[in-house]
Amino acid sequence: MKNPHHRSLLLLATLWLVMLLIFVLIRPAILQLSMAESVLHFSSMLALVGLGQALLILSGAGMDISVGGMVSLTAILTMMAVQAGVPAALIPLLALVIGLCLGLVNGVLVISCRLLSLIATLGTMFAYGGLALALTGGATVSGVPGWLLPWGRGTLLGIPAHFLTTVMPAYLIAAAVLALTPLGRWILAMGNNERSARLVGIPVGRIRFILYGVSGLLSGLAALISLAWFGSGRPDIGTNMELESLAAVLLGGVAIAGGRGGVGGVLAAVLLVVGLQAGLQYLNISSSWQLGVVGLLLILALLSDRLPWRFAKRV
Amino acid sequence: MDKADPFIRARGIGKHFGGVTALADVDMDIREGEVLALLGDNGAGKSTFVKVLAGAHQQNEGVLEVAGRSVVFASPQDAAGSGIATIFQELALSDNLTVTENIFLGRELTTKVAGFPILRRAEMRRRAIALLQELEAHIPDPDRPVAGLSGGQRQAVAICRALNINARLVIMDEPTAALAVAETRKVLTLVRRLAERGCAVVLISHNIADVMAVADRMIVFRRGRKIAETTRPDTHAEELVSFITGAHPSLRVLEQAH
Repeated sequence: MKNPHHRSLLLLATLWLVMLLIFVLIRPAILQLSMAESVLHFSSMLALVGLGQALLILSGAGMDISVGGMVSLTAILTMMAVQAGVPAALIPLLALVIGLCLGLVNGVLVISCRLLSLIATLGTMFAYGGLALALTGGATVSGVPGWLLPWGRGTLLGIPAHFLTTVMPAYLIAAAVLALTPLGRWILAMGNNERSARLVGIPVGRIRFILYGVSGLLSGLAALISLAWFGSGRPDIGTNMELESLAAVLLGGVAIAGGRGGVGGVLAAVLLVVGLQAGLQYLNISSSWQLGVVGLLLILALLSDRLPWRFAKRV
Repeated sequence: MDKADPFIRARGIGKHFGGVTALADVDMDIREGEVLALLGDNGAGKSTFVKVLAGAHQQNEGVLEVAGRSVVFASPQDAAGSGIATIFQELALSDNLTVTENIFLGRELTTKVAGFPILRRAEMRRRAIALLQELEAHIPDPDRPVAGLSGGQRQAVAICRALNINARLVIMDEPTAALAVAETRKVLTLVRRLAERGCAVVLISHNIADVMAVADRMIVFRRGRKIAETTRPDTHAEELVSFITGAHPSLRVLEQAH
């Protein structure tokens, strides 16, 4: 395994096999179509949030710790707007616009004010998440119209409708942009060597600013899915998403320092993380343990980047 | 433009940083097809002058003419637009991208598909191979990341990038500083080839042997001023060193005048 990216993907594939093997040995009944469907169902939100996270990290802009807070606050603000009299037909647009704005706030803090991305988005994580709780006193906000629910709960061709209509196009577009367009080359170039990217005239700051907006937009889309799924806005819906999305991005083979990786691996890693959680749920293991396992995976992903593997010789 | 006219004509260039004079009253002509070496001790002003040429600094005084037109560059992109390319000491390549991708970085060839710019990989690869062959740079595979290349090969990639934007002046800052002997020879060959191709080349170097091997003309800076200009047939290594250190007899008068 000369290429570190291939090494990460090998680790990912191994983890997938190990997970399936363990679950099958413990409880063979776990391998059923309905299980796969529910994994996809639970994956959508994390997949969208993880995509924004992946693009930011690829571009070297740093990470976005506030994604969970953005999802929670967007869900709450959208439903509060509806309760305040905004037509329910505007819910999809509202969620996207609010998410975009929250993401652009991160962009202003990190790009324009030059704050460290980790610290700035840690701040907005508490601000957004705290605001969502404070505005609602921790209660859910109801009022999602009935017409939105089938999209959040139904399936098309055996695939959850929201997965088919949001995750798949979003990942296809992102993969195409990265592989086929100059913008994709620029994102990888600036992630590897910011100075060189600036010297050849790539608008590094502007692109990263836009990517923070994209991360917000995708968080807004995730919030919309949560509304259509649960039928109400929950102030804690985005809890732990920053940790899970970061784990998925790194397990998916994206280098934490930027410049290396792709979005296909990220989607596979999202399915791994969610599959693991769903499997543990199926085995009646408490959700606290699920989070611990995600933490372990995160450390494993970082180690795979660092460890001097005996057979890995530099070219 | 007459063939005898220089590509760059600089007159009375001065640059201050606060109260410090980094550059004072520098005149210089830079001609196409010629390798011009800029020499001088650290802080002598050669780097500042080159940064004015490259658009990284703006002069406070003096006139800079490119191909007969007076210019002030606001940015390196401005300078690139006038046909001036700078190859920086750290080379500024993206290690994770391939040779071809680095040559075309920021200036990718695209074709519109449904309104979106799509990379023309095959065409870029073809042109990259042609450029590498023209320079006789021995890079076996343009699809490999530049991370695995030697220092000399990386120089070749950076030169190809300059050629690709049709640069008429290529500025090279210490191109041989970190190279092994064999690699240095290759890069010096590349420098000559650039000049033979009709490019003007400005070379900054501390290595007198390199300069004597490759430069047609030498200009020595000292304390922000141009103190000597000579050509290869008219000078020798010892004289250049004495200019740089200020030991040359002709400088005694000058030093007292300022």
